[in-house]
Amino acid sequence: MNLDWLDAFLIFGAFKVVEIMGLGLLVHLQLGLTRVANFGVVGFWGVGLYAFGVAYLKVDWPFGDVYQFLVCAAIATIVAAAAGLVVGWLISDLDDDGTLVGTLGFATIVVILATTQQGLTGGALGLGGLDFPYDFGRVKTHEFTWLLITTAVVALIFAYAWRVYRTPHGRLLIAVGSNEALARSLGKSATAARLRMMMVTSGAMGLLGAMHGVMVRSLEINSLDVSVTLAALAALILGGTARVFGAVVGVLLTVALFDIVIQFYIPIPDGWNTQALPVAREAVFGAAIVLMLIFRPQGLLGQMRRPALMRRLHGDW
Amino acid sequence: MANPTVAPPVEREGWSNFGRAPVWAISVVIAVVVVVFAALFDFWATTFVVGATENAPLVLAAFGFALLYRLTGLLNVAYAETITLGAYFAVWMNNSWGLGFYVVLLPAGLLAGVLSVVTYLAIFRYAKGRRVGTLEMIVISFGLSIFLQHALQFVFGYRRRAFDIPPPNTIEVFGVGVSSFRLLALASVAALTTIVYQFIKRTSYGLQIRALASNEGLAQASGVRPLRVTILIWFVAGVCGGLAGVFYGAGASVESSLGIDEFLLILLVVLVGGIWGLLGVVVVGMATGVALTGITLEYGNSLYAELVLVVAFLGVLKFRGRRLTDASKV
Repeated sequence: MNLDWLDAFLIFGAFKVVEIMGLGLLVHLQLGLTRVANFGVVGFWGVGLYAFGVAYLKVDWPFGDVYQFLVCAAIATIVAAAAGLVVGWLISDLDDDGTLVGTLGFATIVVILATTQQGLTGGALGLGGLDFPYDFGRVKTHEFTWLLITTAVVALIFAYAWRVYRTPHGRLLIAVGSNEALARSLGKSATAARLRMMMVTSGAMGLLGAMHGVMVRSLEINSLDVSVTLAALAALILGGTARVFGAVVGVLLTVALFDIVIQFYIPIPDGWNTQALPVAREAVFGAAIVLMLIFRPQGLLGQMRRPALMRRLHGDW
Repeated sequence: MANPTVAPPVEREGWSNFGRAPVWAISVVIAVVVVVFAALFDFWATTFVVGATENAPLVLAAFGFALLYRLTGLLNVAYAETITLGAYFAVWMNNSWGLGFYVVLLPAGLLAGVLSVVTYLAIFRYAKGRRVGTLEMIVISFGLSIFLQHALQFVFGYRRRAFDIPPPNTIEVFGVGVSSFRLLALASVAALTTIVYQFIKRTSYGLQIRALASNEGLAQASGVRPLRVTILIWFVAGVCGGLAGVFYGAGASVESSLGIDEFLLILLVVLVGGIWGLLGVVVVGMATGVALTGITLEYGNSLYAELVLVVAFLGVLKFRGRRLTDASKV
C-alpha cells in the first residue's frame, strides 16, 4: 500500500480523534444516560493501557503476534472492567460529590501505582517494546492499518451506544438517570444497572487504552494526565451529552479542529506547536465546558431523541 | 390540600453543631498525646513537627474550601486555581518588584480572595440564576479549573517559577529544625481558623451566614441579604486558598498544576473532616499532614503516603455512604 501522500503526523492526529470519539461515546453512556459524572476517565483508560503493556512485555507468551495482542487486549479489558465494577460499587450510594471524589481518587491511584511500580511499569521513565500485531514492512502502513482497526472498534462502540437505547437495559439506565427514586420504587435495581453500565463502559475504555499503547508503542506516565478526560468530556458536552452523535460532532469540533485542522492546515508561528497550542487547546476545552453548560446545557444537538415507537406512543418531547 | 408542586424547604442543620465540646475534647486529647510522643520519641517528634508545619497549607486550603462547601453546597473544583493564583500573585510580586516573602503574603491572599469573588459573580451566580443543576455546576467548576489552569500560563509563563528569597531562618521545635515560613503557615492556620470561628459564632454576619446555610429561603424572608453574605464567604475562602498557595509555592516552586495536584487531598479532608464541622476539617487536615509525613519517612516515598491516604479516605467515604457527603455540606 503506497501511503506517501499521507503525513505520519496526520495519521496520529486522526487516531487521537477516533480514540477520543470512542471515549466520548462511553462517557455519553455514563453521563448522558445514567448521570454518572466520571472525572476519572483517564484512570480506566490508563488501567487498560498499563495492563496491556505489562501483560505484553512482562509475560513470556508461547504464541505469536496476533494471539499475543488479543490475549493482552482481553486482559486489559477485563482488568479495566473489574476496576469499573469496584469504582461503580464505591460510588453506588454516593451523590454527585462522592462520584467526583471516587472517580478522581481512582485515577490518582492508577497514576501513583504506574509511577511507583517501576519493576512492572518502568515508572516515570516508561517502558518501550510494544508493537503492532502484524508486519507489513513500513511503519506508516502499520500505523494506518491500526487507525483503521481502531476506527472499526469505535464504530462497534457507536453501534452499541445506538442500540442500547432500544433495549430494556438502556431504558432502565435512562430511567435511573432521570429519576432514580422512581425507578427504585418500581422495583428496578438501579445499583445493578449502574454497576453493569460501569463495567461495560470501563472495560471498553481499557480496550481503547490498550489500542493507544500499540499506536505509541510504549508506556508513558505523561499520557495519564487530565487531558484525556477533558477531551472526552468537552467534546461530549459541546455535542450534547444526551445524544449518541454528541460525542462524534463534539470531537470533530474540538479534537479534530486542534489536532488536525489547526496543526496541519493553519499557518502558525514556529514553536507554537510545542507549547502555546497545547495549552490554548486545553484552555479552550475548559472554556467550552463552562460556556456550553451555562448557555446551552443540552449541547449543540439538543435533547435526547426517543425511538420512533416511543414517539408514536407518547408524542414528541 | 397541599400544593404538590411546592417542595418543603430543606433543613440544612449542622452549623448549630459548630464547635461542640466533643471536637474540642478530642482535639485537646490529640494535642496532649502528640506532645508526649514528640517529647519521648525522635521519630514521632520529626513526624509531628514536620507533618504539622509542612502540611499547614493543606489545612488552610481545606478550611477555606470547607467554608465554601458548607455554605453553598457547591463542590467547586476551580478552588484549586485560587490556590494556584495565590502562589502566582506572590511569586510575581516577589520576582517583579523584589518584595519580600512576608510583604507579598497578605496582598497575594487578598488578590486570590478577589478573584474567588469574581469567579462566583461571573460564573457560578450567573449559572445558578439560569437554574443549572448540581451535577452541571460541578462540571462547570471542573471546566473553569482547567481553563484557569492553562490560561494562567499565558499570563505568568510556562516555566516553573520560584521565590527569590533568602534562605529562611531555622527554628528548633522538639529538636527538629523548622523554617520560619513553615511556622508562619502553621500560625496562619491557627489565627485564621480562630478568627473565622469567632466571626461565625459571635458576629451578626456570622449569624447571617449560619442562617443562610441552614435555610436560604427563611434567611431571605428574615432580611438576610444573601448576595453580600455569599460574597463574603467566597472572599474569605479565596483568601485562605490564596495564602495556602503562597505557602505551598514557597515550600517548592510555583507552576500551573500546583493547586490541582493538592486538590484531591483537600477535597477528601473536607468531606471526611466536615462531618465534625469546621474544626473537624482542621483536625482531620492536621492528622492527614502528620500521616503523610509519617508514611513518607517510613517508606521513603511521598506517593505511597498519598496512595494510602486516598485509599483510606475512599474507604471512609464508602463506609459512611451518602450520609458523609451530606453531613459535610450542611
